[in-house]
Amino acid sequence: MEKPKVFTSSKLPAAPADDTKSDRSTRRGRSVPELAALGVVLVVMIGFFSFSSPYFLRTDNLLNVLTAIAVTGILAIPATMLLIAGQVDLSVGSGAAFAGVVFAVVVADHGVPVAVLAAVGVGLAAGLVNGFLVTVVGINSLITTLGTLAVLRGATRLLTDGQTAIVSDFTFLGTARPILGIPLPVIIFVALAVVSLLVMRYTVFGRSLYAIGANPVAARLVAIRTGLILLITFVLSGLAMGLGGLILTSQLSSASPNAALGLELTVVTAIVLGGASLSGGRGTITGTIVGLLIIGVMNNGLVLMNVNSFWQDVARGILLILAVSFDRLRERINARQG
Amino acid sequence: MSHNDELILTATGIRKSFGGVEVLHGVDLHLRRGEVLALLGENGAGKSTLVKILAGSYRPDAGEVAVGGVTYATLDPVLAKKAGIAMIFQEIADAPDLTVAENIALGRWPMRRGAVDWAAMRESARDSLALLGGTEIDVDARVRTLTIGQRQLIEIARNLSSDARILVLDEPTAALSSIEVDRLFEAIALLKKNGVGMIYITHRLDEVSRIGDRVEVLRDGHLTLNKPVAEVDRNAMVSAMIGREAGDVARPADAPEIRETAIEVHGLSSGQAFADVSFACREGEVLALYGKIGSGTAECAETIFGLRSVSTGSIDLFGKPSPVSDPVSAVRAGIGYVPADRKREGIFAARSAAENLAAPSWPLMAKRVVLRAIREWTAFLHWRTELKIRSTDSPGQLISTLSGGNQQKVLLARWFERRSRVLLLVEPTRGVDVGARADIYEILRSTARSDHRAVIIATSDGEEVVQVADRVLVMDRGRITSELVGDAISSSALALAVGN
Repeated sequence: MEKPKVFTSSKLPAAPADDTKSDRSTRRGRSVPELAALGVVLVVMIGFFSFSSPYFLRTDNLLNVLTAIAVTGILAIPATMLLIAGQVDLSVGSGAAFAGVVFAVVVADHGVPVAVLAAVGVGLAAGLVNGFLVTVVGINSLITTLGTLAVLRGATRLLTDGQTAIVSDFTFLGTARPILGIPLPVIIFVALAVVSLLVMRYTVFGRSLYAIGANPVAARLVAIRTGLILLITFVLSGLAMGLGGLILTSQLSSASPNAALGLELTVVTAIVLGGASLSGGRGTITGTIVGLLIIGVMNNGLVLMNVNSFWQDVARGILLILAVSFDRLRERINARQG
Repeated sequence: MSHNDELILTATGIRKSFGGVEVLHGVDLHLRRGEVLALLGENGAGKSTLVKILAGSYRPDAGEVAVGGVTYATLDPVLAKKAGIAMIFQEIADAPDLTVAENIALGRWPMRRGAVDWAAMRESARDSLALLGGTEIDVDARVRTLTIGQRQLIEIARNLSSDARILVLDEPTAALSSIEVDRLFEAIALLKKNGVGMIYITHRLDEVSRIGDRVEVLRDGHLTLNKPVAEVDRNAMVSAMIGREAGDVARPADAPEIRETAIEVHGLSSGQAFADVSFACREGEVLALYGKIGSGTAECAETIFGLRSVSTGSIDLFGKPSPVSDPVSAVRAGIGYVPADRKREGIFAARSAAENLAAPSWPLMAKRVVLRAIREWTAFLHWRTELKIRSTDSPGQLISTLSGGNQQKVLLARWFERRSRVLLLVEPTRGVDVGARADIYEILRSTARSDHRAVIIATSDGEEVVQVADRVLVMDRGRITSELVGDAISSSALALAVGN
């Protein structure tokens, strides 16, 4: 809520003759040409890596790419909603790790169903705390979630004494391939993406998030319950942490206190790459998915090319800075035209 | 008396144009030592431009400025300050979290051996405050904890370096309570005794006679009156301000059709903003709350819309106690609100005009949970024709690409689409060009007449009141001071009402 806003009185050039096309582009976050440019980047990367490695284009490798981004994607969906509303949630990685560890601790004595509930409950609680601090206490979301990021990571390590907990009988969620050999996490991610895409475009809730991000004061004055809506979205982010933590634990058959370390960075990179504005009011789920694919393809390709994995971090960091610079540049151009 | 004749500031034949339009047509201004010159004029008369030229912020196109006998061809803010001109603007620009002493010393901290000399800083702060009669102010207090009046004294103390001979005060009492005004006037009297010449910009005629020695009146960039205060009466000042032709702003002819009372306010007060406000507004009526910024008009509207809490008194909506506690309940109860600051509080700049229009109606437009963009677009195209909103044919056009007037029409259409019964508008034509302004007045009057809405505007623009209101309540310092109905509303009547 306290995020500084840049309101630009942008006077864009008059709409081109083909109005219907320009409608679509201005109505959504990133305009169609920009999204197309991102698509081109993605295609070029895929082309490059398939030349570099004969293995890249094989179905099982492409499924690897999708599996690798599934958990990130599940966390990135509510995070996209939050960024559209001008908020950021940096606690997603720690939250997922915490949920995983809670699952591992509870499952030993109480069985899978209770442990699943516990993990989801922990995520929900984390989301409620974030949402409460941001909407009721009124702390800037960046600071709030930076705090909960540290708290949750610390709690995760305390709970297992810094050790990895082995979980043996919980492989279905992370590794099952129920349809056409597609891993369950990918299916969950795609399903959530489709639902959220519809929510953002066709519900009052989704549209309100755009309005809050574009101007929180004006949103309040047109009777949007800004606090409640943000609280709900933080809770969604928390539930995603619970789900993400469960999938990670299931995939690895263990809950590591260092799981999902730095995942918030990938999440934010994907969202901003996908065209969401850091000042709120702009962004799309589709854009985030393309951003995720770019990151996934890049990581996978670099691995196939035998590039030292530390370089992946470097590449991802550069990608984030490029994406944010692009966002700033666009805002400055808009401001100059205003 | 002899030292009082010494001219310390003369400006002669000052001309200034902005974008090809001349706003000052060769204005003269003289200020003597220890004299208080009251500078009067309506909004846009050229007062601010004139004093900004004296402060070196603007460069005049023609004419010259002489300070203390030295003629300056080009004056810039630094040079003006050096020449001894200090400016106090209406809005206080202090550092609220620093102490009084720090604020007064801001930018010219006393140094000793490379470090800030705190003792000297406190000492000199005490001295400058004493000069203004502000001895009770603790120089170690955070400025945030002080009253507006005290903060203004600090502002004066900061700007009034030891060699300042000329002080320009731009509507300094706009935000002050009457006790604080007395206090400020004492400070002015002290400065006067010390030989400081002051240019005092104001709208309030009573202040002119209280502290002014001489009065100059500007109208449309011309000097229309320049006399000792003792030789002019109130009516002479008013007619010099508004001129004969300005008094004839056309009144709309039709009288309202009297219907049900939509909103009734009894003895309302909210914090320190306004007190004991009572009025009623009927369906079909355009009611204006008129007063300077800070007089409580906007705050009244905010309170009715649930943005401020009610301290005492009550509000009735359509004969029942108002259920309003926040904007959500206000909109549900049938109230629409158009804020003064369109950019900061009104529009969603990054979103389309259609979305901006539809936002409060989304819950009504959604079928089950599905909200289709086509419904927004239909609504937009309807109101676009109805209210003559100039935009491209595309409802997807960003609202920020529309002109101020067209943005304002979208914000009005917001509440028409939402079918609000009571409209509250604060400064409805601020930043709106003249053509669109007439459109908006027409829209407001016709929605009151034909759709039987109750329209309440809070405004500081007298001409606006004349052109749009059926009835006006004049407010000053948080209280209703008079009421004018129908053809009794005129520019001169309003100027008199505010002056009293």
